[in-house]
Amino acid sequence: MNRTVLFVGLFIAAAVVAILFAGLGKDPQAIDSPLIGRPAPTFALREVGTGKTINLEQLRGRPVVLNFWATWCVPCYEEHPTLVANARALQPRVQFLGVVFQDSEEKIQGFLNERGHAYPTVVDDAGKTAIAYGVGGVPETFFLDSSGTIQAKFVGPLTTELLDENLQKAIRQ
Amino acid sequence: MTATLGRFLILASVLVSTGGAVIGFYAGRSHSPGGLRLAQRFAYAYTVLMLAATGVMEYALLTHDFSVSYVAHVGSRSTPVWVTVASLWSSLEGSILFWGCILGIYIAVATFLTRNTHREYMPDAIGVWLSCAAFFSFLIAAPANPFLSVAPVADGPGPNALLQNHILMVVHPPFLYLGYVGMTIPFGLACAALIRGRLGHSFVKPLRAALLLPWVFLTIAIMLGGWWAYEVLGWGGYWAWDPVENASLLPWLTATAALHSIVVLERRGVLKGWTITLIQSTFLLTILGTFMTRSGVFNSVHSFTQSAIGPTILVFLAAAIVFSVALLALRIDRLEAEGNFDSAVSREGMFLFNNLLFVVLTFTILIGTVFPLIVEAVKGRQMSVGRPYFDSMVVPIGALLLFLLGVGPALPWGRASASQIKRALLPPIAGAAVLFLLGFAFGARNPWTLITLAFGGYALQVTISHLRSPIMQLRRARRRFAGYIVHAAVIVVFVTIGISSTMRYTQEVHLTKGGVANVGAYSITLLGVEERQEPNRTSTLARFAVAKNGVQKTTLEPRMNQYLMMREPIGTPDVYSTIGGDFYLSVMNIDPAAQSVAVNAIITPFVGWIWIAVIVMGLGGLMALIPQRVGELRTGAEPAASDLAVGPTLGGEA
Repeated sequence: MNRTVLFVGLFIAAAVVAILFAGLGKDPQAIDSPLIGRPAPTFALREVGTGKTINLEQLRGRPVVLNFWATWCVPCYEEHPTLVANARALQPRVQFLGVVFQDSEEKIQGFLNERGHAYPTVVDDAGKTAIAYGVGGVPETFFLDSSGTIQAKFVGPLTTELLDENLQKAIRQ
Repeated sequence: MTATLGRFLILASVLVSTGGAVIGFYAGRSHSPGGLRLAQRFAYAYTVLMLAATGVMEYALLTHDFSVSYVAHVGSRSTPVWVTVASLWSSLEGSILFWGCILGIYIAVATFLTRNTHREYMPDAIGVWLSCAAFFSFLIAAPANPFLSVAPVADGPGPNALLQNHILMVVHPPFLYLGYVGMTIPFGLACAALIRGRLGHSFVKPLRAALLLPWVFLTIAIMLGGWWAYEVLGWGGYWAWDPVENASLLPWLTATAALHSIVVLERRGVLKGWTITLIQSTFLLTILGTFMTRSGVFNSVHSFTQSAIGPTILVFLAAAIVFSVALLALRIDRLEAEGNFDSAVSREGMFLFNNLLFVVLTFTILIGTVFPLIVEAVKGRQMSVGRPYFDSMVVPIGALLLFLLGVGPALPWGRASASQIKRALLPPIAGAAVLFLLGFAFGARNPWTLITLAFGGYALQVTISHLRSPIMQLRRARRRFAGYIVHAAVIVVFVTIGISSTMRYTQEVHLTKGGVANVGAYSITLLGVEERQEPNRTSTLARFAVAKNGVQKTTLEPRMNQYLMMREPIGTPDVYSTIGGDFYLSVMNIDPAAQSVAVNAIITPFVGWIWIAVIVMGLGGLMALIPQRVGELRTGAEPAASDLAVGPTLGGEA
């Protein structure tokens, strides 16, 4: 028995396995947004259907789920029923708001008529709001606390569990 | 029905591989010829089952049988047939099935080639192979089962858009699997040698062949990955030190080191334990690589979606490391050296130095790759290790390796006098000077590029002088010739990486229809921007007329593709390749309504030579695999003295 080989080998093995084990269960794509803990960038955008302007200040006083999406994005189709169902259950304690970019109002209206809607949707015509929030693609969802501070961000389609988990961060504040 | 058949085949493969492994180890312990024969039959049976299961999956994919979970997950009626076939390895569950299929083929071929030879080792080798097979079959049967029955859907989403976007993405994964999975075979042989506590001379030959074949595949696979990144990702580079790129490089480095130490082992009878350690490490690094792509722990362009099989692979990795370390600790002292080292300044001394550098390089890259995980585990902070770390660590070690590529083969074996050493080492300085001055004359100023050119020139002169003699006696000295072919190709790869990475010219160009821009010696005219609708994607492309020094050369069509299931569009750059370099256009912003486009135009000298040289490396490796005498592999006879007169990497004497 060569003890040196045994101890050196087992030491390296233990170190490698421990490091990899520590990494399990973490999502490497969940990169913390620099906006978390900061006031949400303000905006004043046109609501689809009514044409009236909605600005962020109006929504202060309760947590906000801010969902960036588009009709050309298939994962957005997937998460739409989840958002609608949760909005119906949670509003008015929590305000939901959809922000659509790179899209036409006509297509958005068609999408909402066909698949249902439970909260206002605004159009980010020039994509400036998406840029201010650092949106890399759709869907992306921001969770704001009642004072308008971003508490969490989620990239990709939401499920009810993921929505709850992130919303808790905004409610706790 | 199809799903049930698939599940049955996989369950049968779990039983057959587990049973075969037990029989193999028992036959090894009891020296039973009957046991060996039975273990061989189990090995063949495992292969048949895996081939059948893979066939069933391909059938389900091609017939769009959406009642099979994997087909519902990655199948689509709108994708072309080649994409449907390649969907097998496009997602997690299918890729593990594909792994099992390739492992089956390797095991059957290795079992067949050694059916009447090396009886002392083969039962344990088959035991180790089938143990690995049992693990992968278990993965397919339980946590990554592609054959679950689901309620059929009308159509599926199709595979990952990156796979559909370029033909290289279809070729790269099979080569990678052939490289990765193939490392199981030398691992089994090495473990068998340890279990027996003996590594006889005749067993080195199959060990070397078993290592060389997957090495060839892995070499090509790494290049195909780089080439794909270059053709698709749009930044004009081919290597980003992405964790998963590193994962493919790590076993390649240890395998390359092992191929060198085997030469010293064949020639001098030393480094037995070391060579076996390298072969074991190579296999363990392939499992680490599998964990990295499939656990969701690392963020990479290669990662499969987050999955539950990470912990299972980690348990297997831990078990395989403990098994390897325990076996080494128990038996390494029994592997007695049959020869000894005469001098450090000798061919074998340089082999040793080369091995040391390969191991240092492996650790450097491994640490850089897992460092973010260490920081996050210890400090809870996210960070990434980028290009500056890898470049600053890897480039000097790479340059030293290139230097050794000249000095090693220049030196004679054994002890040499000072004047012999001088006679061997001085003349190639001429080659170093020529390449250095040529580079300088053509504008190379980066110190590392100039060092690479000088070391490359030195090594090239040594290599060419060695290539001359065996070319006359190709029949007898094929391995030696092949080895130097690989060396020559490696030199070309080093030099072209040095030049292409430091002498690149990049320019951003904004044009509207009819506009012209000059980029170096090239001028580009935007002919128009158009949208093309295809069943699985929408492409927006810009058409450019490309002229060089006023002469019309070609039309390039860089594009952006929006796939139905992707959040972000994927670009496809377009490249005009010549012997002297590439002209590369990659879309940054494109607007069909305004007929305007912003592109990144990149001129990279000599970059295409990398792909060609790596293919030559692979061919050189294959050439070295061809047995010198018919039946060499099968007879397992002690090699004749002439067989040992072989090449640098892949064989012995010059």
